[in-house]
Amino acid sequence: MSNAQSRQVTVKGEHGLHLVPCSLIAKTSNVYACEIEIRTGNKLAKAKNIFDLMGLGVGKGAVLTLSATGDDAEVALAALEELFNSGFEPHARPEIAP
Amino acid sequence: MIIKSGIAVSPGIAIGPALLFGVRSFRIPQRFVAVDAVDGEVTRLRLAIQTVAKSIEQSQESASRQLGSEYAAIFGAHLMMVQDPKLLGEVETLIRTKCFSPEFACSRVFRNYARSLQNLGNAYMAERAADVLDLEKRVMNALLGESRRDLSNLSHPAVILAHNLTPSETASLDRKNVLGFATEGGGRTSHTAILAGALELPAVVGVGSFLSDVSVDDVVIIDGSNGKVVIDPDEATLAGYRFVLSQQKSESHRLASLNSGAATTLDGVRIQVMGNIEFPQEVQHCIERGADGIGLYRTEFLYIGADHSPSEEEQFNSYRAVVAACNDRPVVIRTLDLGADKIPGGDSIFHTNAENPALGLRSIRLSLRYISLFKTQLRGILRAGCGGRVKIMFPLITSLLELRQAKLILRDVMDDLAEERIAFSRDVQVGMMVEVPAAALQARIFAKEVDFFSIGTNDLIQYALAVDRSDPNVAALYSSADPAILTLLKMTVDAAREQGIPVTICGQMSSDLRFIPLLIGLGVRTLSVTPFAIAEVRDLIRHLSVSQAEEIAEHALTLDLARDVDNYLRGELQRIYPEKQ
Repeated sequence: MSNAQSRQVTVKGEHGLHLVPCSLIAKTSNVYACEIEIRTGNKLAKAKNIFDLMGLGVGKGAVLTLSATGDDAEVALAALEELFNSGFEPHARPEIAP
Repeated sequence: MIIKSGIAVSPGIAIGPALLFGVRSFRIPQRFVAVDAVDGEVTRLRLAIQTVAKSIEQSQESASRQLGSEYAAIFGAHLMMVQDPKLLGEVETLIRTKCFSPEFACSRVFRNYARSLQNLGNAYMAERAADVLDLEKRVMNALLGESRRDLSNLSHPAVILAHNLTPSETASLDRKNVLGFATEGGGRTSHTAILAGALELPAVVGVGSFLSDVSVDDVVIIDGSNGKVVIDPDEATLAGYRFVLSQQKSESHRLASLNSGAATTLDGVRIQVMGNIEFPQEVQHCIERGADGIGLYRTEFLYIGADHSPSEEEQFNSYRAVVAACNDRPVVIRTLDLGADKIPGGDSIFHTNAENPALGLRSIRLSLRYISLFKTQLRGILRAGCGGRVKIMFPLITSLLELRQAKLILRDVMDDLAEERIAFSRDVQVGMMVEVPAAALQARIFAKEVDFFSIGTNDLIQYALAVDRSDPNVAALYSSADPAILTLLKMTVDAAREQGIPVTICGQMSSDLRFIPLLIGLGVRTLSVTPFAIAEVRDLIRHLSVSQAEEIAEHALTLDLARDVDNYLRGELQRIYPEKQ
């Protein structure tokens, strides 16, 4: 298709793309009609599939390439980028000073 | 006797018969089905998946109500996994092309998925294999028509041993009969570990393979303080642990027997002892130990691990749960005390370059920057305050302008709520944390503009002594007994007394028995402590007179070295409260 788009994002959050972030990426991606892929190194995942995403096994700080093909590719990528920028927090209990 | 070591995640000792939970032993009734039965079998599979999805949705709802949205998000992910089109496609293909029974097909596919997660070489993802196997169990149970065996209703007290407990299983633990638990998997930050701490159940996780060494009803000891699991202990070991356990019990009984009635000093001065909490369910622990209320409700956990900033409704529900459980006792809710990097949807630009997050955009500074985030929280708090005694506390206040700005926004929010005709608590008291040295130095000015002070000693010490306690190179320089800290405390308490406003101490200092005579001697009348310490702090207060405490404070203030203050307070504590020694 003609309107293929891509951009790069960095993974934040202690545990990288763990369970909840993967589910959020898939959930967000499924809102859009376009095909979305996430690539890191030689691994590729379909962004609409939670197991595919988990299979990337991506840790903190990894740089991922998001690419989308379809009419709403631009908006879909913008939404995903925002999701990545929001940071994915682990279910950890940090030291919090009273 | 076999002794295994794991990660100690929740202190205490549990001794009891083993209950092996979730050891995978599904008997698959039939592996293959007839060709003409295939359509019917696919329908049976789809119905089973629907049943499981529905029950996950229910878990999600109850988790969000009882534990907060950070736990509910996990169930959201489970829901997505069990409805994953690719996974279900594989199962259906096996049924249609190979005439596998749905049970056999599911078992194959789910285990393949779990195995591939385990093989990723990523420790966190490997732990998620347990989530996939939990789903397999659920689907199997739905297919086999058995009601899920759960831990919410045990026939007798037992120690739970499992490969892994899933969030849904931990959340439903029978609090009366589960003595403690140990799991083969799991880490310090696993959901189970966090929850065990909040439930105060002795727990050890990450033990490694040990279930095959245990038979049902073997006696097992869980030493949650030292991270040990003892299977089938010999007489001497058992006697040793029984002795420690009986000591723990008699100590907690002694304290429990003193729980009724107020904590009053020998000369008749009433001291309020409140609890510091993070989760609504901790309120019960505080009240059982005789707390006068909640002196610090940290709201950060609504945000951490959440996939989005918690909505007003989610916040309202959590706050409301705490207020209701407190049953007319006061609840001090602290507004968000986190760095920008921890906020879902927070602006990453501001924190990515921060080399010194303790001095960066965090806490009230963050709330004042993201006013809509702040307003959402204030609305939740004000609404939850209806019919209860809620107080709002702003953290990390440094300058008077910040305080005024925060109060102005609070006023705005009240006006909005009034305009929308939404019920809220109008006469809520407003206080501030004194945890920046600047605030302690200017306490006389601040005292005129708030209803109460609460001294957060952890941050106050870190900022005043310029020490990061988590850095082992300088941790020894961190001391609550430093004369500079005593001076800052005195300035704050004196300023509050002049203005006639109350002061609470809510840092770790107030949970440390040594400092309690000093704090009371300085004029503090409210202590907010970790739930575990409530009973003991109350007991100590009953051994103390204010005049004696004042002498101790006066003398401590004359000492020049932290070491001298420390030794002096230790000696005085021994004299006043020999029970502890």
